[in-house]
Amino acid sequence: MHRKADRGRRKASRRNTPQPAPKRNVAALIAGGVGEFMLTAGAVVLLFVVYTLWGTGIQTANAQDDLRDQLGLDSGVVEKEPIPLDQLEVGDAYGIIRIPRFGDDWEWVIIQGTEDSDLKNGPGHYLTSVDPGEVGNFSIAAHRSGHGEPFAQFPELQVGDIIEVETATGTYLYELDSAPNGDPDGNKIGIRDSWVVDPVPGETKDTEATERRITLTTCWPRWGSSHRMYATGILIGGEEV
Amino acid sequence: MYAWIWRHLPGPWPLRLLIYLVLIAALVYALFIWIFPWAEDVFNISEVTVG
Repeated sequence: MHRKADRGRRKASRRNTPQPAPKRNVAALIAGGVGEFMLTAGAVVLLFVVYTLWGTGIQTANAQDDLRDQLGLDSGVVEKEPIPLDQLEVGDAYGIIRIPRFGDDWEWVIIQGTEDSDLKNGPGHYLTSVDPGEVGNFSIAAHRSGHGEPFAQFPELQVGDIIEVETATGTYLYELDSAPNGDPDGNKIGIRDSWVVDPVPGETKDTEATERRITLTTCWPRWGSSHRMYATGILIGGEEV
Repeated sequence: MYAWIWRHLPGPWPLRLLIYLVLIAALVYALFIWIFPWAEDVFNISEVTVG
């Protein structure tokens, strides 16, 4: 009882005495400002890491939902008449890719085009490459970190792995004949090594293709993009619609 | 800076705290929606295509 009253009095007396304005010299103000700025900058950089690792995936997941609707998926049966591949616009849903090595439920909608704006929505089809099942080199690029990281496990791809691609024209099965084989640095190439997506990889551009190939590209290292990584394979079967 | 903002917010402290948190949330939202996507493009940190 006594104490409480005491405290009340002290509080009151503090309220009544005029508070002197806090005096700080200029150097202290500047040091404080710089310190606050640096703390803020650190927080922003950390937030950016959160954005690249996790934030980008939210947008990608939403985009994949829309693209699945575009293909008429998720309704049990394909209700819509699929759009012929040659009539697709850049950014449209192109087809589906399945890679059992990455898990039985690993399934992504491929987007027509490989600009940044396409790839942030999922794996992209190189516009200059042929369609699945055709003679030439059907080529796909996808992120390994951020944006849903479709190719996160890319180095785990082994020679002999199956890649399944489904489009308006049918379902196609490819078997890899060159892959990282579990080596984190396997099949590492430079950013200009576009030969991997040429119609006949490793030959000059005007070499006439005879094989029906698939090529996948992603970034190397996983959390950067100073280099690229690839895997390639050949058509072994499929079913035209 | 943060103390200066705190001093210039109106109302009793719970209200100030609420306003402060809303301000910070708005800032983080703006970073995620506009600034970070822009930074990602500019710094070329996630390229996956060849050529």
